[in-house]
Amino acid sequence: MTASETPDPVAQATDSAAEGTGPAPAVDAAAHPDALLQVRDVTKVYGSGHTAVTALAEATLAVEKGEFVALLGPSGSGKTTLISIIGGLLAPTSGSVTIGDTDVASLSRKQLTRFRAERVGFVFQSANLVPFLTARENLLYVAGLVGMTKSDSRARADQLLDELGLTDRARNLPEQLSGGERQRVAIGRALMNDPDLVLVDEPTAALDTALGRQVVQLLRREIKDRGKTGIMVTHDLRMVEYTDRVFEILDGHLTHVESPSALGH
Amino acid sequence: MGTAGMLATAEIRRGRGRFTAVVSALSLIVFLVLILGSLADGLFFGATGAVRSTTANAYGFSNDAEGSLIRSRLDISDVERFAAAPGVEAAGPVGVLLTGGVGPEGELDLAVFGIDVGGPGTPTTLVDGRLPDPGEIGVAAADSQLQRFGVEIGTTVAVGGESAEIVGIVTDSSYQLQPTIWTSVDTWRAMRDAVRPELRGQPTSINSVAMIVAGDADLTAIAASIPDTTVLTAEATGLAIPGVEQQASTLNSIIYTTLAVAALVVALFFALLVLEKRELFAALKALGTPTSRLGVAVIVQALVSSALGVVIGTLVARGFGLLIPADVPTLFRTDTLITIAVFTLVAGFVGAVFSLRRIARIDPATAIGGAL
Repeated sequence: MTASETPDPVAQATDSAAEGTGPAPAVDAAAHPDALLQVRDVTKVYGSGHTAVTALAEATLAVEKGEFVALLGPSGSGKTTLISIIGGLLAPTSGSVTIGDTDVASLSRKQLTRFRAERVGFVFQSANLVPFLTARENLLYVAGLVGMTKSDSRARADQLLDELGLTDRARNLPEQLSGGERQRVAIGRALMNDPDLVLVDEPTAALDTALGRQVVQLLRREIKDRGKTGIMVTHDLRMVEYTDRVFEILDGHLTHVESPSALGH
Repeated sequence: MGTAGMLATAEIRRGRGRFTAVVSALSLIVFLVLILGSLADGLFFGATGAVRSTTANAYGFSNDAEGSLIRSRLDISDVERFAAAPGVEAAGPVGVLLTGGVGPEGELDLAVFGIDVGGPGTPTTLVDGRLPDPGEIGVAAADSQLQRFGVEIGTTVAVGGESAEIVGIVTDSSYQLQPTIWTSVDTWRAMRDAVRPELRGQPTSINSVAMIVAGDADLTAIAASIPDTTVLTAEATGLAIPGVEQQASTLNSIIYTTLAVAALVVALFFALLVLEKRELFAALKALGTPTSRLGVAVIVQALVSSALGVVIGTLVARGFGLLIPADVPTLFRTDTLITIAVFTLVAGFVGAVFSLRRIARIDPATAIGGAL
């Protein structure tokens, strides 16, 4: 794989975005009218007047159920803003986001909290597990947020931990786990409430390449096996080969949709 | 157990180091407040026992006495007048003498109370033996504090050569922190005349009139019916004893100030804890945790810390109480303990409430990426 030999993946990602050959995401979205996730003309402007900064400009994209896609761009490109808006953490200045039949932008703050607990799974950059809960309790915690019964949540947590190869580590606190194990627990937590959408923020930032690959492979397997929709934010070109499609973003603009193999060459 | 309880208790169980700090601080505060409270109670109860632990619920004084039994001067004939006043069910004479006496083991400071035994003003706290019979001369009941000086049933206590045989023991009956003996008015007067020769010419003088008044009696009206007198409830009589009210208000000010410090300690501790957990709270909010649950978790932690502080502080204070010399008036009362426990929990709650706004302000969007 040529990309793994690239000394600066950020530079590489930037170059790819500039030189991409795939269609514009807006054009691509028109070809996916029934996609689970529809982002239409989403703009986010911070500040106002002459200090206004456009973090995201008229972003349009569509992701089908069962797809695992990457959002690739250098830091400051707007990919964090876009994924935060999709996840209901940030309100767009204009535009709409629909997941299934839910218009995310129309939800109240309280409804958004509930929406995130039930329908979105998050995997954060540095796992961000609750440090004083064991691996298993971290999973049970999010089940508690949606009122899952104790027996259901225990059975599901144990099954997920088993699939993620963490059965032996279930009773360990995060500080007793390796970086890779912590990220695997975070994946289990994201899948715990059976969400429609799994949003993954730079999952390999704190891991070395080999571990990073393992974690992303695992993510892909879990998302595919369960028919979830996954979006992974990354600036690391080496991780996109496990995704179905790659949306490139630069300076707040979604530029191209590529197949991972096209980026590989 | 809900998600809030899960967060709250798991953190206390697994983050014992930091919670030990706040629980220790709270225990120390509770300890301090309880010791102060026991001193306040000891002083108050030690000063007022003789007017609290009797059958009387009101006392009549001469006008110039300002409610002090010692300063008041009435005549034995006033007893009849008070008894005839509206709302008074019974009245009896009270003579008081603060003096030195001689017990089985030597000299004693004591207060001699002369009363019509069986009438108003009779002690209600007999723990051993009997009270003198009505009109019985030369016998007395002694406060249990005198037992430290060898005074027991069958021994005698002498004042100025007049002696009384002890026939019973009463408790919680001291006056101005002096242990008391309770005897007939005649025996009291004989003792008074022996040590205060200047009063020998006043064979009918007494200090005060103890009364049992009806619940709805108008004390001002009773006093108005007898010239140059005032009437106070037993409670007000206690507070009118020189120094009692001042001591109580001084010690209570210290106690409440210290409890305010407890609220401050809890507020600072949780402010720091929340600051330290900003990132975690942002992630938990992003995962769909309502702000209210994070708030409840913090309040539960504050209440648990405060409750532990109360338990540990109480145990230490009771242990320490055993080391306090017997002549320092201290009293550990359940009422005071309950009040202090409730105030400590309220202080913990109020302290934690200050963190709620900080928690509410944490933006879940900061869980993803960095800024922007």
